[in-house]
Amino acid sequence: MSNKTASHEPRFGRLVTSLVRMRSIWKVLYALLGAWMVLTIAVSTNLFFVQLLNGFVYGMILVMIALGLSLILGLMGVINFAHGWFFMLGGYFAYAIVAQLQLSIWIGLVVAPLLVGLLGVVVERFLLRRLYGTEPINGLLLTFGIALMIEESIRYVWGSTPLSFDADILSAPVPLGFTEIAGLRLFTAGVGVLAVVLTYLMIVQTDFGLSIRAGVEDAEMTELVGDNLPVKFTALFFTGSVLAGLAGVLRGAEAGLDPGMGALFIILVFVVIVVGGMGSLFGSVVGGLLIGVAMFLAPTMLNALALTTGLEWIAIDGVRRIVPFILMIVVLLDRPRGLFGEEDFLE
Amino acid sequence: MSDTRPTTTEKFRRIVNGTSIRTARQFEALFILGLVAFVVALPTIAETLMGFRGVASNILIWMLFAVAFNILLGYAGLLSFGHAMFLGGSMYIVAITMRELGAAMVVLGFPLALLAAGAVAYAIGRLIVNKGEIYFALLTIAFGEIIWFIGNSDPGGLTGGNDGLSSGMLPPFVEAFRGQLRVVFGSIEFPIYWAVGVLFVVGVYLLFRIARSPFGRTIRVISENEQLARSIGINTYRYKIHTFVISAVFTALAGGTLVLVNQSVATSQLTWHTSGEVVIMAILGGISSFVGPMVGVFLWFFAEYSLTGMESLGELRHHWRFGLGLLFVVVVLSAPEKGAYGVIKDAGMWVMNKLTGEN
Repeated sequence: MSNKTASHEPRFGRLVTSLVRMRSIWKVLYALLGAWMVLTIAVSTNLFFVQLLNGFVYGMILVMIALGLSLILGLMGVINFAHGWFFMLGGYFAYAIVAQLQLSIWIGLVVAPLLVGLLGVVVERFLLRRLYGTEPINGLLLTFGIALMIEESIRYVWGSTPLSFDADILSAPVPLGFTEIAGLRLFTAGVGVLAVVLTYLMIVQTDFGLSIRAGVEDAEMTELVGDNLPVKFTALFFTGSVLAGLAGVLRGAEAGLDPGMGALFIILVFVVIVVGGMGSLFGSVVGGLLIGVAMFLAPTMLNALALTTGLEWIAIDGVRRIVPFILMIVVLLDRPRGLFGEEDFLE
Repeated sequence: MSDTRPTTTEKFRRIVNGTSIRTARQFEALFILGLVAFVVALPTIAETLMGFRGVASNILIWMLFAVAFNILLGYAGLLSFGHAMFLGGSMYIVAITMRELGAAMVVLGFPLALLAAGAVAYAIGRLIVNKGEIYFALLTIAFGEIIWFIGNSDPGGLTGGNDGLSSGMLPPFVEAFRGQLRVVFGSIEFPIYWAVGVLFVVGVYLLFRIARSPFGRTIRVISENEQLARSIGINTYRYKIHTFVISAVFTALAGGTLVLVNQSVATSQLTWHTSGEVVIMAILGGISSFVGPMVGVFLWFFAEYSLTGMESLGELRHHWRFGLGLLFVVVVLSAPEKGAYGVIKDAGMWVMNKLTGEN
């Protein structure tokens, strides 16, 4: 993954070639999809763009979680099942800070992710590290057990009922011309974009990123030239956990908390990773946004179709939950490795 | 100690160490005998350890489920995080057949459920079985969620949506008597537990035969070294799909039986929590042996029913899953293949060898 992150040309080149070489059935399908979108815009213009925006914000949350997961997966070959629970824990820590200790949301935004990051370091240093070099499944199983422990701890400390906390100043609506958007959502989108850019710069521009990329290529050689790889992997795990915790704070402030959200989001993020392609940072960004937007646009588009054709049954209730999985199957049928997946990665 | 006939101690030690030489037929007879003895003893064990006998049927069914799951994980090395779709899916199929076509149609519901599970597993297997372990785990979660969504969205009012199904699943040969289900065939009458016991013994024995057959040995080779297996001419892709199908079909058998015993189907049996539970049970018990997952199921039910009943634990007793998660982490870190069964076996062997001298 790492060596290709450095330059964009070959990736976009590949994308263009694959677009040109696309089989005609896919061309027809894409054309139909485009026509459907135009129809939706014509039927319910405002709703379309509102949902597009909502989908983008939701997608940004997914991207922030997926980014951390993808970093860890790409560089250490470990899929961190507990990542969704780290995300949830970020929200609950923020709840403790904002609602229980009555501190500002800004403190929550800084402290809660750091606490999650610390937990990540403990998990990596004392548990996960013992499993490097064994079967990749062992890491998945270990973190699954940790996820179970985190969820039960949350149920013990904060109970199983849904909770919410107020993001005071950030909750004021911001006018955007065609609609108003809660300030928090705009903030979430901004933080998400910033996180993506910073992560990219960290991997591509810094010495830290360089040594990590080298470590992925040839761990033994990198250590021979004097890099302390275990410490750097821990630092990376810390970064990924902080990102997940930050997403948790933002999501918790926006939509509230419940102990099931860890499982809900980790499954979505797994789909994001599969759609984007395993081990590709760029893929997880595209996959996250694609799925977020699709989840919010699908009901609107189905409604528009039902309205124009007069067929009521098209507007299926609760279609949002199934859209990511349909998208995943479609992508897998055409591109078995995901949109930007690499050959032979974890195969 | 004479050279030709080993003494009783010597024989005993050979049995404990697993070095005793027996023909396959003898071994199988012993295995069936062990299963039957276990089925007979379980209600009493359940009553002493967990407080009531009723849980015994559920333990047997879950054991069948876990063993079927382990054919895939322990033998073929494929971790499925979506096995609930076969358990819950078959439960829905059996229940819906009985509710729509009359309760006697349970005889149609079972074959239908097994067939559907096999077909779904074949289709999914073709798509994802060759994608590597982690990919396989993630994709099975995703497919499980799709099946859950279908069950939860209540298509045509068949699945009852979020409420699940809870009536019209009493076949004509089963009668509810004082809250207990009894099988009635004319003048013959016995608790449903014995019917479940027979199904359990047959199902587990068939899986045991499959695991010891050339097929079972081949999938073990594939999980040990896929390159090697392919180079000696094994079509690994097909073997993996077939294992997935076999595992799904036996899971469906467990699911169908669960409907008859519990007389209800809930959407929670389709969620990935159920898939996760069977993963935990199998790993806890130990995936490298055939009986390991059964030990794991027993541990799980023991924790669920004993720990929640311990008043001395206070509020903590409702969070027994934390303890199991901790145990799970310890097992994965220390003995991911052996599990509890392997540890118990090793300890038993050590003690026996100490007692009978030598080593």
